[in-house]
Formats: sequence, structure tokens, C-alpha cells
Amino acid sequence: MARKRRGIDAPEGELEMTPMIDVVFQLLIYFIVTIKPVDVVTNLDVFRPAPNPNQPPDTKPPNLLRLGVYQDGYTLNDNPVSLDAMDSALARIARIDAGQTIMITVSAFSEHGALVRALDLCAKNGLRSLSVVSASN
Amino acid sequence: MKKKYADAKLDMTPMIDVVFQLIIFFITTVDMESKALETKVRMAMSPNGPVEETKDPRTVIVDVDKDGNIQIQQTTLSEGQLLAVLKKAVVASGQSTPVVIRGDYQAKHEQIKRVMDIAGRAGLWKLRFAALKEKA
Repeated sequence: MARKRRGIDAPEGELEMTPMIDVVFQLLIYFIVTIKPVDVVTNLDVFRPAPNPNQPPDTKPPNLLRLGVYQDGYTLNDNPVSLDAMDSALARIARIDAGQTIMITVSAFSEHGALVRALDLCAKNGLRSLSVVSASN
Repeated sequence: MKKKYADAKLDMTPMIDVVFQLIIFFITTVDMESKALETKVRMAMSPNGPVEETKDPRTVIVDVDKDGNIQIQQTTLSEGQLLAVLKKAVVASGQSTPVVIRGDYQAKHEQIKRVMDIAGRAGLWKLRFAALKEKA
């Protein structure tokens, strides 16, 4: 049927665009419907101090900040803090010395999401030197 | 049809057919790599995390789901197997091999700790935690 119509409508040997455009639209719609947007993933770098007791003792930097992640909240130098308070404290610290080491102690029963949130705040304030150690409780 | 060839005009239809075939082929195959790295792990959000520009081909991605199962490329591994894999990676590409831990946000830290300890035993001290910068 199509050939017959082409014979009548289109000049001989000329490419008929209509079916091609139909197919292109079909493809376009198919890909728009099936495409899955990709999540943007980021990587938060940490340093894991060696648990090996035989290794030489750490030359601890004098300005070591201790951050605790527990299942019921966060601590900063052993004082309980909220996320907002921790953010502003980290911003203050980063203004003084962004290179200083922050030791993050994580309780075994805290959720991984809580640690990532703390690491996110460190990344937000430009603190790069992060050590993660695990507490046994 | 015969008339067309006699007119010596170029018939575009077969060429367009082939081009479409090629397009579909490339679109379906280009996704293969991301399929292998696909995960059911729901990562925590980190909107302030640094943007990754370059990807190290040596990267080992370790998934930890919320029940503490350890997976690499959708293959569940025991602790011993993970240690063997990481040791092999250290032998093949050195101690600077990037290890990315993709932990579920609900996973308990002790499960993440297991992976970190195994990485430590393999001699890998620099670890990275994957998080979502933007959720699509």
C-alpha cells in the first residue's frame, strides 16, 4: 500500500522523510522514558590509623581535635554537640588551621550515615586530614 | 525499484537503517560498565563532598549493605576472600590503590569497621567512603 502511495505522491527516487521522522520520534520517546538519571557520587577520603601495636608510636600533632560519633549523637572533645554546633565549631577550627588532624572516633553501633554526615561537615569546611578510629562500645 | 537504480539516485534507506542499528547497539552496550557497579546499597547524602574529576582505574569498590554483607561487583565475599582480593590489588597496583567503601547509611559502624580492618591488614590505610552528592 505504501509503495502504491509513494508511486502517486512522491516523485520517483526521492526519499520520503515521514516514516523516518516517525521512527526517530519513537526512538526519542523510548529513550526519554527509559533513561535513568545518574546519581552524583562523591568520595570522602579518610585515613585509617594502623591498629598494629608493633608500629612506631604516632607523633601526635599537638592540635588534635577529637570528634565522636555515637548512635545517639556527636561529641566534640568529649562534649556532646548538635550537628549545627559541630558545623560552626569545625568552621572556626578550619579558619585557624585547615590542615590539622581530626580524629573521628566512631562507636560500633552507630549508623554509617552518621559518620558520613560528620565527614560531610569536615569536607564542607575544607578539613582534609581525617583519621577514623573505631570505639568498641 | 529497478527504475530508481536506473536513475542512479542514491537510496538512503538502507544507510539510515544501518545507522539506527549502530546507534541502538552503542546505547545498549555503553551501559554495561555501570551495570556491573550497580548496587542496592542506599548511600548517605553528602552534599558538600568534593567533586570527582578523574577516576582511578585501579579503584576497588567494596559494597557493604545494611545487613553487613560485603560485595565487590555484586559478588558476595567472605572476610577471607576480601582480604585475598585486597592483597592481590596491593601486589598488582601498590599501596596507593584507592579503596572506596560504599556503605549503606543504615549499616552499623562495626560492619564498616570489618572492611576497614581487612583493608588495613592488606596494607591499605587510605580509604574513601562513597556518598551521594546529588540524588537524581
